[in-house]
Amino acid sequence: MSDQPLLKVTDLVRHFPFKEVQGLRMMKATVQAVDGLSFSLGHGQTLGLVGESGCGKSTTARLLTRLDEPTSGKIEFQGRDITHLKESELRGIRRDVQMIFQDPYSSLNPRHTVGSILTTPLKVHGLHQGKEKARVQELLELVGLNPEHINRYPSEFSGGQRQRIGIARALAVEPKLIIADEPVSALDVSIQAQVMNLLGRLRNELDLAFIFVAHDLGVVRHFCDQVAVMYLGKIVEYGDKRQIYDLPEHPYTQALLSAAPDIAVARGAQRAERIRLVGDVPSPISPPSGCRFRTRCWKAQDICAEQEPPLVPSTATDAGRGGREKGLHLQACHFPEVKPALVPEIVSA
Amino acid sequence: MTATAEQFTTTMGEASQAGDVVLDVDDLSIAFPTEEGLVRAVSNLTYQARLGRTLAIVGESGSGKSVSSMAVLGLHNPKRTQITGSIKLDGQELVGASQATFQKLRSTTAAMVFQDPQSSLHPFHKVGRQIAEAYRAHHSVSKAVAQKRAVEMLDLVGIPTPARRALQFPHEFSGGMRQRAMIALGLVNDPKLLIADEPTTALDVTVQAQILDLINDMQKEFGSAVILITHDLAVVAETADDILVMYAGRGVEKGDAKEVLSQPSHPYTHGLLQSIPSASDDATAELKAIRGAPPSLLNLPSGCSFHPRCDFQKLVGAACIDTLPEWRPTPGLTGRELRCHLEDPVATLQNDEGAK
Repeated sequence: MSDQPLLKVTDLVRHFPFKEVQGLRMMKATVQAVDGLSFSLGHGQTLGLVGESGCGKSTTARLLTRLDEPTSGKIEFQGRDITHLKESELRGIRRDVQMIFQDPYSSLNPRHTVGSILTTPLKVHGLHQGKEKARVQELLELVGLNPEHINRYPSEFSGGQRQRIGIARALAVEPKLIIADEPVSALDVSIQAQVMNLLGRLRNELDLAFIFVAHDLGVVRHFCDQVAVMYLGKIVEYGDKRQIYDLPEHPYTQALLSAAPDIAVARGAQRAERIRLVGDVPSPISPPSGCRFRTRCWKAQDICAEQEPPLVPSTATDAGRGGREKGLHLQACHFPEVKPALVPEIVSA
Repeated sequence: MTATAEQFTTTMGEASQAGDVVLDVDDLSIAFPTEEGLVRAVSNLTYQARLGRTLAIVGESGSGKSVSSMAVLGLHNPKRTQITGSIKLDGQELVGASQATFQKLRSTTAAMVFQDPQSSLHPFHKVGRQIAEAYRAHHSVSKAVAQKRAVEMLDLVGIPTPARRALQFPHEFSGGMRQRAMIALGLVNDPKLLIADEPTTALDVTVQAQILDLINDMQKEFGSAVILITHDLAVVAETADDILVMYAGRGVEKGDAKEVLSQPSHPYTHGLLQSIPSASDDATAELKAIRGAPPSLLNLPSGCSFHPRCDFQKLVGAACIDTLPEWRPTPGLTGRELRCHLEDPVATLQNDEGAK
C-alpha cells in the first residue's frame, strides 16, 4: 500500500474535436489540449504544473478531478482506474479528490449562504449527520474565518475571504488530494501570502497531497516539491524543484525562468543571462511537428521537426553538485544542456 | 527603423529634454458619489513624471492607481466624478478642462496602453486603419500617407511583415501582437507621456518579457515619459526608474525604484516585499504576510489608512490613528519621500527584517 502512489497518470490525452468553416466546407479539427501526460504523485506530496496559457495545465486539472473525461490514457487513484467511471461511480472519488478554483467570485453560488455552501458536500456524502453546523463552524475556524459568519452570503466577503470559503468547501469532505487551479492569482498581493500560508499549514496538518497549477514561478517554488513544466499539452521537463529551478535542461524551462520577472532583483540579485523568446505560443489546433517548442527554440535543427523528443531521464543528474539532486529528473529535448543561474541570484561581492 | 524614430523626435517639443517634468500632479483628489456614499478613490495625490524616465505606480486593486491616470486623459465622466487639485500636463491645467482640450492632448501629448488589447482595439476595423485614423486626427495628411505611417509604426514595434499585418483585423493577431499594435497606436503621434495600465497582466510570461523590453526600447527611441501602472513589484524591479507606492488612494512612498525596493521605508512597501516568494529562493517557511485586507474606499480608516494593518503602529502610538502623516523626506536617505509617522523608519524596518 505504501509503495503505491496516490495518483498515477499514464499517457493522458484530451483532444477537443470541433468543426471549422473553411471557405464553404466544414472541416473537422481538434484542439490537442493535453497530449500524452504521465506522472505519479505520492501521499502528502505536492506537484506544481507550470506553463503558459494554452499549455493544458487547467485541462489536466479538470481531467484529474474527472470534471472532464480523457480521450485516452489512464488515471489511477490509489490503484483504482478512474479514467472512465460513470457519474454514479465517481462519488467516492469526489470525496477523496477536491478542487480549489482560481476565481473566488464565480466559484461560489451568490444565492447560497456560507453555511449552505459548506453543508452541501457534507449532506451529499452523508458526513457528520445531525452535526453539520458544528462541522461547518469548525471548518470556518480552520481557514481563519469567523464561525459566526455562517449565515452571510459570498458578496459580504472580500476576495481573500471568499478564497478561504472555497478552501473550506474543498476540505469539508476530508479529501486526500487537492487540485488547486491558480488558487492565488486572482488575489491582491498582500492577500496572496495569507492564502499561501493557509494552504501550507493545512497541507502539513491534514497530510494533503496537492496538484498545484500556477503560472507564478516564485509561488510554485515556495509551495511545491516536484515541478512539471508544460508546453502545448506536453510535459517538457519534470523534476524536483531544485533540479528545475537551479539546473534546468530544457530550453523552454530555461526561457521561462529567464523571462519571469522576479522580486529578488529588488533585493539586488542579478541574472547571469537573459533569454528572450520570439513570437507567441503556437495554436494547439495544429501544433508544430516533432518537438512542439522548435518554432521558438534557438537550438532547433532538422531532427527537431522530424522526431518528437521523448521524456527521458536527464543525463546530467548528480553530476558535479555533490549529489544534491535526488529523485527523477526528466526532460524532453534532443539537445539537453544544463544552464544554471537563470533566476536572479545574489552575487556576493 | 531608426530613421522613422529620428523623424519623430525632431517633431517633438522645441526645447524639451530628458528630465523635464511632463506631468505634474499636485494634491489630486478624485471621488465618485454613489448611493452608498462617497467613494474616495484618490486622495491628495502628488507626483511628477519626467521625460526619458519610467515611473511605476504600484498598488493593489482599489489603490487608485488607474483612476488617477485616467484623469490625466480626461476619461472620467465629469458629471459623476468630483476632481479637485491640479494636473498639469506639459504646462496645461487639466482639472476642469473641456473635452475639446482633452481631445487635442490625447495621443499627441499623452497616450494610454490598456491592460486588455482584445477589448481596446476596435474589432471591426483593420489594425492599420485604426493607427492611420489616430494619425490623421492630428495631422492633415492623405489617407495613403497615414497608412504608410501606420505600417512604419507596426514595423517599429517589431511586428513582422507589417504591410500585410496592417490589413488584418485585431482577431487575426495573437495577444502579444495585439499589445504591440496598441503600443504602435499609442506612439503614432509621438506623445510626451505614455501611460501603460497593466500592459502585460493579460499576457504570458515569455510574451510579457518581450512587451516590457519593447516599452523600454520605445522609450529610448522616443524619449518620452512612461507611467507604468502595475501591481507586480517584480515587474517594477526589472523595468522602472522611479516608483510611487499607493495604498487606499494615497501615495505612501516614492523615490528611485531600485532603492525603494531594496530598502523600503514605509511599512506597507516593506510588508509587500516580504510577502512575495522568489523563484531563486528555496525557503519553504511561512511567508510573512500583511494581516487583514485593504480598507473600503467608502469608509477609510482615520489617520494613516494603513494603521489597522501596520505592525509598527504600536511603536508610534495614537498619532497613526489620529493624524494623516504628511509627505516628508525619508530620514537618512536622499531623494526619497514617505508618508509615515515612524521616527526612524529605515532602521526600524531593517531591525524587523533581522528579527525575522
